[in-house]
Amino acid sequence: MVTLAIAKQTLEDMLRRKILLVLLIIAVGMIALGPSVGFLSPRESSAVLRSLGLAVILLAGLLITILSGIQVIPTEIERRTIYTVLSKPVQRYEFVLGKFLGGIFTVFVMIAAMGLVFLLVLAWQEKRFDPEMLKGVVLTFFQMTLLGALAIFFSTFATPVVNFFLSFGLFIVGNLSSVTDSLISNKNPATRIMASAVHYIIPNFGNFNLQNKLIHPSVEISNANVFIVQNIVYAVIYSAVLLLLAILVFDKREV
Amino acid sequence: MKASTRRNLGLAVIPLLIATMFLQAAIDPSVREINKGQKTAFQGLSGEFVLGPLLGLQQAVAGLLWVRADEFFHSGDYDAILPIVRMVTWLDPHQLDVYITGAWHLAYNFTDSSERSDRRYIPASQRLLEEGDANNPEIYDIAFELGWQNSDKIKDFARAEYWYRKASTRHGADERGQAKAPVPMFVWHQLAHSLARLGRLEESVDIWKKALAMSEDFVKKNPTDFSRRNVRDSEVHNLELTQKRIFSRYKHELDWEVDAKVGKGVNRETGEPLSRDTFVFVTGSEVSQKQSAYAKAGLSAPAMAVGAPRPPAIEPTWNTAFDARPLFTAPKVLEVKGRFNVGDGARVTVRLHDDSYRTAQLKEFTFDINQDQTLMLDQHSVRAGTFGRKIDMSKDPKMYSFKSNIYYLVFEFNPRATSPFIQDRFGWSGEGMADPKYLWTDSSLQPEVRWIRKVYRITREQVFGGSIPESAVVSNEEYARVMAEPGPAK
Repeated sequence: MVTLAIAKQTLEDMLRRKILLVLLIIAVGMIALGPSVGFLSPRESSAVLRSLGLAVILLAGLLITILSGIQVIPTEIERRTIYTVLSKPVQRYEFVLGKFLGGIFTVFVMIAAMGLVFLLVLAWQEKRFDPEMLKGVVLTFFQMTLLGALAIFFSTFATPVVNFFLSFGLFIVGNLSSVTDSLISNKNPATRIMASAVHYIIPNFGNFNLQNKLIHPSVEISNANVFIVQNIVYAVIYSAVLLLLAILVFDKREV
Repeated sequence: MKASTRRNLGLAVIPLLIATMFLQAAIDPSVREINKGQKTAFQGLSGEFVLGPLLGLQQAVAGLLWVRADEFFHSGDYDAILPIVRMVTWLDPHQLDVYITGAWHLAYNFTDSSERSDRRYIPASQRLLEEGDANNPEIYDIAFELGWQNSDKIKDFARAEYWYRKASTRHGADERGQAKAPVPMFVWHQLAHSLARLGRLEESVDIWKKALAMSEDFVKKNPTDFSRRNVRDSEVHNLELTQKRIFSRYKHELDWEVDAKVGKGVNRETGEPLSRDTFVFVTGSEVSQKQSAYAKAGLSAPAMAVGAPRPPAIEPTWNTAFDARPLFTAPKVLEVKGRFNVGDGARVTVRLHDDSYRTAQLKEFTFDINQDQTLMLDQHSVRAGTFGRKIDMSKDPKMYSFKSNIYYLVFEFNPRATSPFIQDRFGWSGEGMADPKYLWTDSSLQPEVRWIRKVYRITREQVFGGSIPESAVVSNEEYARVMAEPGPAK
């Protein structure tokens, strides 16, 4: 209950932040402008509209997640409100979990809003509703959940600026999964070991990229639903790992 | 937090991390399937477009790049489009239109100052399409494009037939974009046309019949689909026309003018017109005309009479009396004069190339062509039994560098690539064609095809302004043998 109360307060606090709302408005505007690329042939136009819509959701989600994730705990310390909270019967792990959940609820609200506009624009443009695109939005949310957990973990010991570069940098490295995957079969043993370490240990954000399948329905994968479930489970477990580490670090930290 | 709780939480991290590794290993095969054919984020991208792929936005960057390519296209900056095509296909190997448009640019839009295509780009164009087809093996589009390019641009009907047949085994996109719909009927139509071009007439007729059966079935189920009814009608027309041509060229000649007026259709099994007066002699003058044609060819005429069926159209043997005389009137300016008794509208191909030139089959796509190679191809229409014009290659040194010491100058006529009204005189494969000097039979294809071809082997000095003696003519057999050999190593 305490965790949820902190999460609710964090969500309300986040939704009041103008920067996040501005990001949301810009993203929604860009999605709504997607059909203006309709001068291409119908097939190209559809692919561009879908890819741009999903890209805008991902980019806006990325900024919203990092901006909220890197600030939630340091801001509380900076404003010294954390003393008030922790002086009450609130465990530190409850505080960390509450902040994480609050951030993720914020991301959920934002992505849901963008996803809804995207699906409506797509339905209007293509004269039919395509529920498949929902999978892309859902996977983006879980990708951001993992990124949010990473940002929360870093925020327990790093300043917001350092956290920004750490989270953003790891997101980029984690997106190069196709590169690390191909390097695993490299002839050089040192390269193989390095690539394996990066591929299996660093959070693999590239997993969540289902865009090829969603933009080009002709692309078949053996079992798309299993793939989506696997990714959701991956995001949940890896987020749990990061939150456990965050709790352990924050528990030792002097505030 | 108690120390034991901390320790337990710390220990819990290890199995969870191991679980993510196993999950990652389970996820990898699906990711490979999704990203098949896609290149890495950095490859060949300019700085402004690198960040997108790094964030996992390959498709969005590909889309934006393609929008930019469209702007270049409308401003006529074709050179700028090709690198973008390459990048887009790397980032998003499922953008079919990008492969097709890029290949079209390569094959058709690079020209000299007289609008002759730079055919050195054709292998690259073909390779780009083949790469696209390999990345999209369920869909017909790119295989069809390969068929079309081989048929329309290269006139290699055997390869065209190969790709059209491949396309016919694929799927089209349904209303959801999934590759589950049958291929459009034009794929079957082009397959039938390419088979006819190859002289495989029975197979062509079979494909028309198959296409017609599919359309009849569709129209029966969807009687108000007028578009498909039009397709069905065109298939009826093409099936009957093919049958009539087989009948007229190889069994009994039709009087097309009479037939056009009567227009009563054709027996689809035999090609025989339903009105008998369209293939029998109606007047005595028709009989005497035909008899004199046989006499002119030095052949004994079969029995002919008013009311009796005409003999096949492609008999007697048609003497094309072909010849071509080239002259370089100025450095790199070739003037051609020739005669060809084949009928107005036929086209003679003029090809000039290095002795080392061979039709390349690229293993990997590249825009880089051999700039030192010279390859010129022109088409000359026959008018009143003559052909020829001036071919000025001096204005385009990048296309015609003339670095080689020896060249082949080829004049040829392929009966399979010519118009039907010309083929009416000697059949699809030139069966009725004769020439005292330059007839050459290509037995590499079955049925074999009879070409008209005259080949000169000339020197660089002659290209730069010299007469070309008839002693420079080489036999068709020798030219075929040289072209079958691998080119000299560079």
